[in-house]
Amino acid sequence: MAAKSKQRWAALAGGVTVLALALTGCSGGNSNSGGDAKTITWLVDNAENTVAAAEKVAEEFTAANPGIKVEVETRPQGGDGDNIVKTRLSTGDMADVFNYNTGSLLQQINPEENLQPITNETYLSNVTDSFKPVVTSGSEVYGVPFSTGMAGAVLYNKKVYEKLGLSVPKTWDEFMDNSRKIKDAGIAPIIQSYQTTWTSQLFVLGDFANVVTADPSFPADYTANKAKYATNAAAVKGFEHLEEAGKAGLFNEDFASTTYQQAQDMLVNGEGAQYPILSFALNNIKVTYPDKLNDLGLFPLPGDDASKNKLTVWMPGGTYIPKSSKNMEEAKKLQAFIASKAGCDAQTAAVGAAGPYLVKDCELPSDVPDAVKDMLPYFEDQAKNSPALEFLSPVKGPALEQITVEVGSGIRSAKDGAALYDEDVKKQAKQLNLPGWN
Amino acid sequence: MSTALKRYGLGVLAIAVSVVVFIIPLLFMVLTAVKDRKEAAKLDFAWPTNFQFVENFTAVLSARKFMLVTAFINSTILTVASVTILVILAAMVAWVLQRRKSRWNGVANFLILSGLIIPPAIVPTIWVLQSMGLFKTLPGLILIEVAFGLSFCVMLFRAFIASIPKELDEAAVIDGCGPVRLFFRVIFPLLRSVIITVIVVQSVHIFNDFQNPLYFLPGDANATVQLTLFNFQSQFTTNYNLLFMNILLITVPPFIMYLFFNRQIVAGMTAGAVKG
Repeated sequence: MAAKSKQRWAALAGGVTVLALALTGCSGGNSNSGGDAKTITWLVDNAENTVAAAEKVAEEFTAANPGIKVEVETRPQGGDGDNIVKTRLSTGDMADVFNYNTGSLLQQINPEENLQPITNETYLSNVTDSFKPVVTSGSEVYGVPFSTGMAGAVLYNKKVYEKLGLSVPKTWDEFMDNSRKIKDAGIAPIIQSYQTTWTSQLFVLGDFANVVTADPSFPADYTANKAKYATNAAAVKGFEHLEEAGKAGLFNEDFASTTYQQAQDMLVNGEGAQYPILSFALNNIKVTYPDKLNDLGLFPLPGDDASKNKLTVWMPGGTYIPKSSKNMEEAKKLQAFIASKAGCDAQTAAVGAAGPYLVKDCELPSDVPDAVKDMLPYFEDQAKNSPALEFLSPVKGPALEQITVEVGSGIRSAKDGAALYDEDVKKQAKQLNLPGWN
Repeated sequence: MSTALKRYGLGVLAIAVSVVVFIIPLLFMVLTAVKDRKEAAKLDFAWPTNFQFVENFTAVLSARKFMLVTAFINSTILTVASVTILVILAAMVAWVLQRRKSRWNGVANFLILSGLIIPPAIVPTIWVLQSMGLFKTLPGLILIEVAFGLSFCVMLFRAFIASIPKELDEAAVIDGCGPVRLFFRVIFPLLRSVIITVIVVQSVHIFNDFQNPLYFLPGDANATVQLTLFNFQSQFTTNYNLLFMNILLITVPPFIMYLFFNRQIVAGMTAGAVKG
């Protein structure tokens, strides 16, 4: 037995050496396999809708440009995704084309240094003017819009509203009145889902259109360190509304442990009536509860004045080309395709439309969900919407979601929360070296 | 009565605890994996009304051009290769460090300790790999896993080798054994129990590793099993039934391995415990 096992060990050791040699020989090089067709890579985030839309766009693009193949790669979202993008950019290993956020997050990947400017490309004229500022850094434009515009607003269950004979609120007071009536009917009036912390920010972030209406110079002053959430009467309202709704007991009972997913379930089943959330949620509702999608409607977070009821909109992500791309011509062709009617149609065919496109001439199909239809009038009239603060100012702190959870749960007062958030953004503003912060 | 309670009470309690800790999560996983999307989204502990095992299974397997199959192949190669290299290399280093005293010992020990203490930096590591042409290759990632696991394994082996009498080496040398033969024929077989410990610990660690493959091995063709989880989970939409089916599928191979090698693993660990 002993001799046998020694032999076995010797054989194992030999085997390992051979394996190690074999492995160093075969480095999975599969990039140079192309014949006539050129292959470019396209890195997108891993959301079901993004992947499906990107694959469809890639397919249509290859049909229109037979010489070019597009390989779609995916990456996670959130912090890991940011790290991947930053790592791959700084090591010169980025895909030929990639999708990333617009607005303040774009500034963090240092566009001047890493991205190919496309200011002088002809296809940029297809992009709507409202989108260009959010993909601009310095004097150059870097990206084209992928996917559709979104809103930070309140999704509501129309059946509950009908049953109780309520109408869509235009002011905060009406909203509170409605909520109290819903509560009396035994339904959770406002759904909050603090288990998924980011969802807690909507009262503050989605209220931004009202802030700008009251104080149009707020974004500029905020960037210059002249205006603060805690001291600006218009800006602090978002925090105050959150506190007020929480104190009035209008949230669902187990708001602290409800997840984003459960919140959607409550909303579509009528256990909850109103859910302040990004309209991204409609994508998930569409695939998970297709038969109930049209029970939902949407209204902007109401402010004080019914005549100035405005929607806070989120710009879609952008598609960019890194300077390190070795297939610049082909990459630009793909960008041009995305910023064309054919590109929008391909996306619509794959996943439908959850909002308006920001490319000129793009049309929405007639069967868009009701909640999207509610959103369209606000998008069509420039005076009735405002981009969220993150698209107007690079200053955005990382801890807002924790602060809003505290305010909503009644642990911290609105005033305190706003002041704490003002502290929180300082670090980031200093990191970006913005004038007025040092 | 009270003697019966004394005799069985603790056992029953232990069984109850292990059911709660191990069986219930597993059951939840299996149940969610066979539900349809709408029921799975509730994330509750309910019996599925609509069994979808086959649909979910094929959906997970064929997602993103059969990425899971590629991922299994990659993960297997990665785990087997890294663990074998780790075991042999770490045992060799530990043996030399333990048996041959020289003034470099201090430096080597310091380096091994720093390997445990200093967190790895991603971008510089990628630069090194790029300059060697190993970035985005499986051998590159294998070397990284070996490098990150080496410190821990060397320390395990050293502690054990200290308990092997030096006379064994001397006897073998007197019999005419060269250093290589001495290591592979005399010392290495004696390390069996630690080797099994290292294999178990490192296999689990490397098979489950998420961060390193994510950064050092990008690209769909290079996916490892843990990365396939991201096919079904994202910030705003998550496909819970498919996600859990995927989790189930990638949990099964280690599970089967354990069933087969159960006896050897337990024997190796306990042997180590007595000797060490």
